[in-house]
Amino acid sequence: MKVLVVEDSKEIASSVHDFLAREGYICELAYSFDEAQEKLLLYTYDCILLDIMLPDGNGLVLLKFIKAQKIQSGILIVSAKDAMDDKIVGLEGGADDYITKPFHLPELHARLRAVFRRKKLAGSNIISFNEITLNTDTLEAKVNEVTLDITRKEFDLLLYLIVNKNRVLSRQSIATHLWGDYTDNLANFDFVYQHIKNLRKKISAANGADYIDTVYGLGYKFNSSNV
Amino acid sequence: MKLVDKLSLWFIGIVVLLTPVTACICYYNLEKKIDEAEITHLTEMNDMAAASLAAGQWPDRQTEGLVTVVSPLTGSLPEQRLNITKTDLHNGNSMGMLSLLTVNSYVSVGNVNYRISSSNYVPSGRQIRAAIMDSIVWKLLLIILCVCVTARLVSQKILSSLRQTIKTIQHFNVKEKVQFPVSRTREFKELNSFLQKMTDKTVDEYAAVKEFSENASHELQTPLAVLRNKLELLSETNIEEGQAELIGDMHNAIEKLSRINRSLVLLTKLENNEYSVTEKIRFCKITKDILAAYEDRIGMKHLTVTTDIDGSIDLKIHPALADMLVNNLLGNAIRHNVENGKIELILTHRRLVVRNTGLPPEMPTEELFQRFKKSNQSSESVGLGLAIVKQICEVCGFSISYNYKNQLHVIQIEFVPVLQNEAAITAHDNVAAAVLA
Repeated sequence: MKVLVVEDSKEIASSVHDFLAREGYICELAYSFDEAQEKLLLYTYDCILLDIMLPDGNGLVLLKFIKAQKIQSGILIVSAKDAMDDKIVGLEGGADDYITKPFHLPELHARLRAVFRRKKLAGSNIISFNEITLNTDTLEAKVNEVTLDITRKEFDLLLYLIVNKNRVLSRQSIATHLWGDYTDNLANFDFVYQHIKNLRKKISAANGADYIDTVYGLGYKFNSSNV
Repeated sequence: MKLVDKLSLWFIGIVVLLTPVTACICYYNLEKKIDEAEITHLTEMNDMAAASLAAGQWPDRQTEGLVTVVSPLTGSLPEQRLNITKTDLHNGNSMGMLSLLTVNSYVSVGNVNYRISSSNYVPSGRQIRAAIMDSIVWKLLLIILCVCVTARLVSQKILSSLRQTIKTIQHFNVKEKVQFPVSRTREFKELNSFLQKMTDKTVDEYAAVKEFSENASHELQTPLAVLRNKLELLSETNIEEGQAELIGDMHNAIEKLSRINRSLVLLTKLENNEYSVTEKIRFCKITKDILAAYEDRIGMKHLTVTTDIDGSIDLKIHPALADMLVNNLLGNAIRHNVENGKIELILTHRRLVVRNTGLPPEMPTEELFQRFKKSNQSSESVGLGLAIVKQICEVCGFSISYNYKNQLHVIQIEFVPVLQNEAAITAHDNVAAAVLA
């Protein structure tokens, strides 16, 4: 996957770059409106990560430009403002998804992958890893061809883990992924723990390997080498 | 009461109060002047009669239609050479309408003393009073009529500037500057220039605060994002268990910081009334959606949720605020609940009530609406949830109360401010408590 990251903060851009590079993605950076415009005219990308606040322009204007040029990339908008207006204008302007700063890198990755799946791999909604197969349309999870009886949240969690396999996922990041805006007032770690526990139980009941490692004090990790 | 009516009333009041005084003055002056003129005239007659007596000629009994009587006087002349009497006449058709004014002069011609008296009829005091009374009534009626009519007509013109100013102020919105009408009246000029300055300043300040809150949000979110992302990259390097724990703690701190920042910016926006709405939204649907979002966590804590949500409840509230309101209330009800506890959620056209079990509050419940107030100061929460709820209620014109009754935390939001029937609500509470227990 080839990604263009339009982000004026160099630290954030480099973090995103490092994170995505480990997945083997080609990740190019543009720090300003002009730079982004130039790159968009010269090259094609599968996905564009678009910051709304740029030093020399507004990301929403760039979004209009992308649509006017009929560039087919998937677009994920990033904003520090969780203002409703930006969200609505962005999504109505043709963006595929929206993420708010400060985001979690695994969350960003999961969303990029979802955007990419929808845009590029039309019809292909199957994600599989060894004996585990996930269908993102029907929300069905199979282990060794046996359909698991899992809840929507457990499905989301498993998908998140597999997309971000071999990465340490903090409990905060998992909570944000599962409940989005509805995490603020709750001590979510217990709930994350319970979901992980249930998921492990269900996978092992279907004779799947235990891929989920606990990283003490920090979170969890889907370890592909646990077979 | 309108300004013009007030002014008219005061004016009429003063006129009505002063009229009797002026009437008295008028009456005394009129009577005095009439008598004075008549007395002067009659004295002149007497003098003429005296002069003819002195000339040895018996004066005419009648001069210029007046009766002059000369009679010799026995005895000495009285001290007072001039004597005036006035008597009201009480007979005939002119009963009470006339008074007889008599001037007696005492003179001595030769060795004989004479009394010369001339009399004439003048209008009686009663008659003068009646005339004054008549004219006063007419005058008052005319004044009141004229004041009422002209005040209305003139005020249309004079007060039009004020009316325009009021209209401008009523439509004032902190988001844009307004222009006040030009007036030639000094007071209105001062008022308008003051209002102009005030509204301009308000608009400027609002813009500054808005800019600040937006900047603050952006400027803080970016470093937070950097911190969080770097930690995430760090946790992917070869770290030991102890280091993982440190990173975990840092993640917690960042999470908390990020929430505080978001909440404070939101509170600022709420205070600035940035969430104005004109449309109504389906509040019941939002409530159900949020309840669904919490479903798994409610289940994990083994909470029993009883809901009583009426259909088609439309409220005038910004969708983001509605979401936040229910989210915070329900989040609190779950967070501060006990294992195997209960939550009751009632939504009607009038009110939203959330009742839940939980530990008794350690401070007066009303204080929990203050920022950073927590029942348990060491707890993980930020302590802004209820402050936000309260602010949202204020923005939307709802009233909110928080009570701890019958071992239940009860938060009640009234959508329509009404004179509540306390007894009915308490009775309802007791029934609910009985049901929950």
